[in-house]
Amino acid sequence: MSAADNIATILSSGARLTVPLAFAACGEYVAQRAGTLNISVEAMMLGAAFGSIAVASATGSATIGLVAGALVGVAVAFVHGILSHRVQINTFVVGLVLNALVLGLTSYLITVSTFTGHQVWQVDIPVLRDIPIVGPMLFVQRWPVYLLLAVIPLTWWLVERSRWGLELRAVGENPQAADVSGIEVNKRRRQALLWCGLLAGLGGAYLAVGEVGSFNQNMTAGRGYLVIAAVIFGAWRLGRTLIGCVVFGLADAMRLALPALGVTMNSQLLIAAPYLLALLAMLVFATTHREPRALAQPFQRGTT
Amino acid sequence: MDVDDQLTPALTLRGVSKRYGPVVACDAVDLAVRPGEIHGLLGENGAGKSTLMKILLGLVHRDAGTITRGTEPVEIDSPQVAADLGLGMVHQHFSLIEPLTVWENVILGDTGRIDRAAACAQVEEVSRRYGLPIDPNVRVDRLSAGERQRVELIKCLRRDPSILILDEPTSVLTQAESAELFTVLRRVVQAERRAVILISHKLAEIMAATDRVTVLRRGAVAFHGATKDTTAQQLARQMVGREVSLQSESAALGLLPVERPAPVGEADGAVVPPTAPGPAAQDEPAALRLREVTMLIGGLPVLDKLSLEVAPGEIVGLYGVEGNGQATVGELLAGLLVPDSGTVEIDGRPVDLVRPGALHHAGLGIVPEDRHHSGVVLDMSVAENLVMKSLAAVTTRGVLSRRRMHKIAQQRMTEFNIVAPSPDTPLRSLSGGNQQRVVLARELSAGPKALVAAQPTHGLDVGAIEDMYVRLRQAAAEGVAVLLISTELEEVMALANRIAVISSGRIVGVLPTAEATAERLGMLVGGVSH
Repeated sequence: MSAADNIATILSSGARLTVPLAFAACGEYVAQRAGTLNISVEAMMLGAAFGSIAVASATGSATIGLVAGALVGVAVAFVHGILSHRVQINTFVVGLVLNALVLGLTSYLITVSTFTGHQVWQVDIPVLRDIPIVGPMLFVQRWPVYLLLAVIPLTWWLVERSRWGLELRAVGENPQAADVSGIEVNKRRRQALLWCGLLAGLGGAYLAVGEVGSFNQNMTAGRGYLVIAAVIFGAWRLGRTLIGCVVFGLADAMRLALPALGVTMNSQLLIAAPYLLALLAMLVFATTHREPRALAQPFQRGTT
Repeated sequence: MDVDDQLTPALTLRGVSKRYGPVVACDAVDLAVRPGEIHGLLGENGAGKSTLMKILLGLVHRDAGTITRGTEPVEIDSPQVAADLGLGMVHQHFSLIEPLTVWENVILGDTGRIDRAAACAQVEEVSRRYGLPIDPNVRVDRLSAGERQRVELIKCLRRDPSILILDEPTSVLTQAESAELFTVLRRVVQAERRAVILISHKLAEIMAATDRVTVLRRGAVAFHGATKDTTAQQLARQMVGREVSLQSESAALGLLPVERPAPVGEADGAVVPPTAPGPAAQDEPAALRLREVTMLIGGLPVLDKLSLEVAPGEIVGLYGVEGNGQATVGELLAGLLVPDSGTVEIDGRPVDLVRPGALHHAGLGIVPEDRHHSGVVLDMSVAENLVMKSLAAVTTRGVLSRRRMHKIAQQRMTEFNIVAPSPDTPLRSLSGGNQQRVVLARELSAGPKALVAAQPTHGLDVGAIEDMYVRLRQAAAEGVAVLLISTELEEVMALANRIAVISSGRIVGVLPTAEATAERLGMLVGGVSH
């Protein structure tokens, strides 16, 4: 293989590994702008990955599986929203419990069920795919990747240009002020979580029915936490958050590609690479951040 | 009563009550506000003004009583309902969202599609109509306090409220900005027949700006009548429940200089310095000394080689216009900041400011500017707050003795006149004055060599202010070096033996209070030193 081919392979696999992160990051970004530091994004992704394979296997359609996965994400978000923004249980506790619960549940269910493999169809654009280096990365991908390309500007528009987004940002910055302006703070936060669940669900489902075609235990392996790191890395701006996702995706691709390229390295260390990178990135960027002021602060009317 | 009584009030409250546990915030309050009048709601901090307004805004639910809007009885259970009823509020602590622009803040809470151009046009229209100039596209965090106030007003007025409520609107405004505000309010009531409720604890303001006034004392209505038929002295008496005696205290209340002349805070001749204890002997070493302290924040010097000393038994007033570094001095001496260079010496010994609690151990007491933030723990009990800095006295081998803690707390509560149902009451439920007494009691009972009081009377009522003054003088008389950091000229003049003027992070002059004239201080504050 030539060097150009190697680079093309790494870029292309980096892009594929970025997709689930980017989907979920678009969701997590919205949740955090509304003031929820949502750590159950891991549960949303893992649950969705399982759900998508289960439904795809039952219906024979990977696309229906993908939709089902997104709905699982929404369901997790719904539970999280009720528990932390209606009953007012600490959002971290809720997130940790949901993560542990979904991990345990899917690990059990996969041992007692057998699923057939399914994968969503691939878009393969002739001529363009032959562009050297970037051709395979941009023009030979499974269809949800192109959905992602629509989701990104839509998320940006929702947050920055719609009234819903304006209220969302207000709620994340100063919930008391938003409240006296007549905005239902906890409702907006729940809605932001649902959007997060939908997208994290799509990301998780893509991991299963898009990338691999099957489910295995703890398939997300902490990707949800990488997504949270990406939002922090991105200083609560969508563009920079997505750059973070690309960095983590490429690091993951390198991990897979290096042995094939003949570089020998301790494989456990390689698996840790994206997470180490996330830690370093946060360390470097931590001081320059301007986070939503009410991030992770619960809201209850009457308390100031 | 007068003819206005025949008008149907825009808003009537009858027997409105609210309790928080054992604390009665509002006790059967009656209030009637008519269209076309500015109704002053006067009371000390903790008299129940804010609670009453929270009830009107649907933020707090009342326990008893009725609210009538026009002739309709209404139930206000959310801010949305309040807005629909035509109640608009300008909050004491601004309810603006800083990273958003002016127009975004103004349309917050509307419904429908966002139309930036229309929103900006509306902001400009309201701003022109009321003479409140503002650029709708600028972010709120770039605005001054006065400009933010304008945004709040525009936000409120754009919704065309029939009743406009302003909660302590001038507390962060300059004299000129306050005057501008009252001109706008006069317009709002006269030309447009709206009703305005002006909440304040400043007598001068109430006298100058309102048509009718209701005085609240301890949650109940103490007085009600037309402003022109009453006097400032009478209102003060109603508000406090007794005669306001000391001239300096009346000054602090805003009673004396009814019209303060210049923005640079010049005292008129009426403010007489108290009969101060003689200045400390010259040869005694300073109990508190700041030596060439430099503090950079964001690369800019907030304190610039600031040197200052306070001798035992002396009160030194650190006076200047807000934003010139006195808040930083307070935070530095509270141990919240570490200077970039320079030293702080207590009793002649330099203190290692990096070590937490070093200043306290060296014998420095502090009454911090923001007591909720760095003075007390609101959700802990009075007793726990009182012993927080002397835990060794109430613990044996790491085990806390509740009995000893209670005993010490009881003593200090009696000694410092802290009014609380019991030592176990959470501090949150105490009035601001009593919370401040807790801070003072804790700091003074540690037997400090020096005491820093940063804006000690901010937000306190007359009684508490008087008490604070007495305690600070007493501490000085007992040999404590007191550094009083204040932006209130009257306060500094009333308490200090010497006045150090701070401007742009430097001490530009130190004067004995007796020699401090308005002109000299004004020049120094303005940064003109000789």
